[in-house]
Amino acid sequence: MDQDLTTSSAAPPVDLPAGRRTSRVAGLGQYAGFIPALILYGVFFLVPLGLIVAYSFWTVVDYNVVHDWTLDNYHYFFSVPTYVRTMWATLWVSFAATAITLLIAFPFAYWLVRYVRRSLQGFFLILVVLPFWTSYLLRVYSWINILGEKGAINRFLLWTGVIDKPASFFLYDRPAVILVLVYLYFPFAALTLYASLERFDWNQFKAAMDLGAPPRTAITRIMIPQMKAGIVTAVIFVFIPILGEYLAPQLVGGARGVMIGNLIVNFFSGAQYTRGAAAALLIAVLIVILLVIFRKSLDVKDPYRA
Amino acid sequence: MSVTEGRLSRADLLKVGGAGALALSLGARPALGALSRSEATTLNMLTWSDHYANDQLAAVAKATGLRGRPTLFSDNADAYLKIKQTGSQFDVVSADGLWVPKYVKDGLTEPFDLSELPASKQLYSIARQFPFWKSGSNYMAYPFSWSTVQIYYNPKYVKTKPTSWHAILDKKYAGKISLENIPTDMMAIAGRATGAKNPYAMTTAEISRAKEYLKGLKPNVLKLASQNNEVVRALADESAWIGITNLGTDDRVKDAGGPTVKAAYPKEGTVGFIDSESIVKASKHKDVWEKFINTMEQAPWIAKNFLTNGRPLFNERAYKLLVNQGHGDRARRLLYNKPQLALKMTIKGPAGDQQAYTDAFNEVFGA
Amino acid sequence: MRDVEVVSKHARLARFSFGSWAVLVYVFLFAPIVLLVAFSFNANKYGTFPFTGWTLHWYGQVFGDYQIKDALTTTLKVAAEVTLISTVVGTAAAFPLVRSNLPFRNGVRIGMTLPIMIPGLLIGVSLLVLMTSVFHFTLSPQTAVIGQSVYTTPFVVLLVAARLQGFDPSLERAASDLGANTVNRLRHVVLPLIMPAIFAGALFAFTLSLDEFIITLFLIGAHNTLPIYIYTQVKFGITPEVNALASLLLAGSLVLIAVAFALPLAVRKMRFAFRARKA
Repeated sequence: MDQDLTTSSAAPPVDLPAGRRTSRVAGLGQYAGFIPALILYGVFFLVPLGLIVAYSFWTVVDYNVVHDWTLDNYHYFFSVPTYVRTMWATLWVSFAATAITLLIAFPFAYWLVRYVRRSLQGFFLILVVLPFWTSYLLRVYSWINILGEKGAINRFLLWTGVIDKPASFFLYDRPAVILVLVYLYFPFAALTLYASLERFDWNQFKAAMDLGAPPRTAITRIMIPQMKAGIVTAVIFVFIPILGEYLAPQLVGGARGVMIGNLIVNFFSGAQYTRGAAAALLIAVLIVILLVIFRKSLDVKDPYRA
Repeated sequence: MSVTEGRLSRADLLKVGGAGALALSLGARPALGALSRSEATTLNMLTWSDHYANDQLAAVAKATGLRGRPTLFSDNADAYLKIKQTGSQFDVVSADGLWVPKYVKDGLTEPFDLSELPASKQLYSIARQFPFWKSGSNYMAYPFSWSTVQIYYNPKYVKTKPTSWHAILDKKYAGKISLENIPTDMMAIAGRATGAKNPYAMTTAEISRAKEYLKGLKPNVLKLASQNNEVVRALADESAWIGITNLGTDDRVKDAGGPTVKAAYPKEGTVGFIDSESIVKASKHKDVWEKFINTMEQAPWIAKNFLTNGRPLFNERAYKLLVNQGHGDRARRLLYNKPQLALKMTIKGPAGDQQAYTDAFNEVFGA
Repeated sequence: MRDVEVVSKHARLARFSFGSWAVLVYVFLFAPIVLLVAFSFNANKYGTFPFTGWTLHWYGQVFGDYQIKDALTTTLKVAAEVTLISTVVGTAAAFPLVRSNLPFRNGVRIGMTLPIMIPGLLIGVSLLVLMTSVFHFTLSPQTAVIGQSVYTTPFVVLLVAARLQGFDPSLERAASDLGANTVNRLRHVVLPLIMPAIFAGALFAFTLSLDEFIITLFLIGAHNTLPIYIYTQVKFGITPEVNALASLLLAGSLVLIAVAFALPLAVRKMRFAFRARKA
């Protein structure tokens, strides 16, 4: 006879073999599915991260890691103006890229929900994701041909006479990095905002309009507050990965567009593991703080119980 | 039954399809593994982009069954570390100048008998006798190419020829210089620029001065290129007006559809490289290294390499081929027939305090 | 939402503005791709402007290049192994996530998504340290498989868990009433019904693995996957062969999606026809 029927509807029935199971064993048995995951993540995720934490407090002498506890790596990092500047630059580039991405994605999501027939919405969404099906690398690389001195933009501007010699502004500096990052992360923002906007109750909107509110007020005072969770989720899905970006600044950033990801890679390829670990930890801590602050938006009220 | 039928049938299909796909991929794995094992041996090369061409690798693979798989690096210090850390992963490493003896001394590469490679007879005799590469009767590396590192500039934008390393610090070149990401050697060049006695063995004070020079240079740097092709491209599409790179860049820029660029030799002097191919000591394919390199270093390939990459090489027969093909002038202009000049350069090598050099560079440029 | 009656007199202007914005967005999204594909036909061997002529030469080169074949083989092998690991581990983990009496379920769920949230760079770098300094493994496609699996498994977990959550428990109760034990219940009732989600998870893991770059860069050693090979070529710079390769990859993915969509419909039609004939 099922014992759990009365307690919950989602839990599977427990079968009783000839002998009796103690409730504790039955209790532990339900977690059996976690075992492979625990092994994979225990050994290959938590332990390495722990190592990085430890490494950041050790030093490298003559290419060998020495287990002396010290804050040297952090002291060093913050003593080099270039590194500190790069850290700040990473933050503001991530911030700018996130803001721009959302500013572009929001009207787009609005258009998709409001003006496109339900049956076609899936198609247009797939169209947004389609560029993802090309190589990530090449999507970054293709911008070089557009932004470069002899690239599409400069050719166009020269042809229309807006400028009389090619502008080097577009490439190998932070604006290029921001642009490419916006390009790469737009689908994340668009999909998240769409999902949130789709659940929005338009009747409230209609009611507000009926009560005489102009559209802009309706949007700012009714729609956006309800979408706050979705907006925050979109911010998290865009801002956090951008913090750790390596490839986009590497390919289009030039000497001035360096981000902290490049520093970390550089440290590790130069066998300066402990310094690299310190830089990596700085970013990791920042991310964890952000996740903790915004954990509420990742919360779904007890998602797996009806 | 009918309500769930649709769902079951799709689930059925997907189950079969999914199982089939997984089975295929699992089955494919040993099949592909067997295929690759029986077909060819792969030699992992840690090298520069101008040491090979894709068609060359394909031809060598076809002829010998030995497939080269290149991994690129930008700075000798990086390559050295990689070999040190990865043991038997690589089979061939392309080391520069005075790095070669360091690799041997630290047990990372092995000398060999040069005469066992028939292709070595095609080399200039002077290249077979570099004193710093001799190891008893053996040789530490198979000589490949050489070049000075100099300034190339686009006279359309750079009106006065830069005759000093300090000339390129001029603010009007902001963001217009492209140079290779070679920390050790850029520090050495900076050392030359700031009067260091021995660019690869600088004192702390000299390192400091060199670093200041690089700091002054940084605002003018457009991009740190990871291979010299990138410098060529930057000069070709005019995003860079000045490049700090190898001989022959002017021809390469022209070939890339770019403008005329000219060479300039700063009065403080510069550095240069003599590069090579070496056997990695821990390699599992040492027995086929000689066959591979021998096939790679045949004159026709070397001649082609010269036309693509510009700087002189040590293969004398290739020079004769080039002359026959009508490229004699170009070869002579780029000093191909004067390999003895290679010995007059300040040859690239490890720095006294390698870490300090790398650190100083990184602290200026970041990454 | 056509049933929203917009009272504002700027309705048409609003509709037009939003529509134009969408058009601009799509142009922004597709311009680089279009350029990428276009340059694969460009006779100019530097793969840049100007267009000096149209040619299929680069596509020919792609098929003859053993380095590309080598990279493709490695990529597929790695992707297959990653898919297998992620699917098994992820599906297994989804069950207790949904069905057990887990305290701090939300915390566990967020913890499970952590590998997706933190930048791949950190996963790559930390595993590099583990593999080389602690385990002294040689870096190889196998180590890359482990790194990629850490990244892809949470996606499988989320997909399968979402499906499990919506699973009708009365089906299982019915099976149990009819005498099925846990194993049989799983085999004959649960797994077949959640198989679409498992398949979706596997497909997702496979796709993610194909294009994965940063973790692989740290962990694959001297081998190449396609993204890493492309990266080398991008630094090497020159020919549009890389563009041709990318266009082929894009075309291949499009074909795959088309098949994934069309196949169930085709099969259903076939089954229906078959059943009709049987009856």
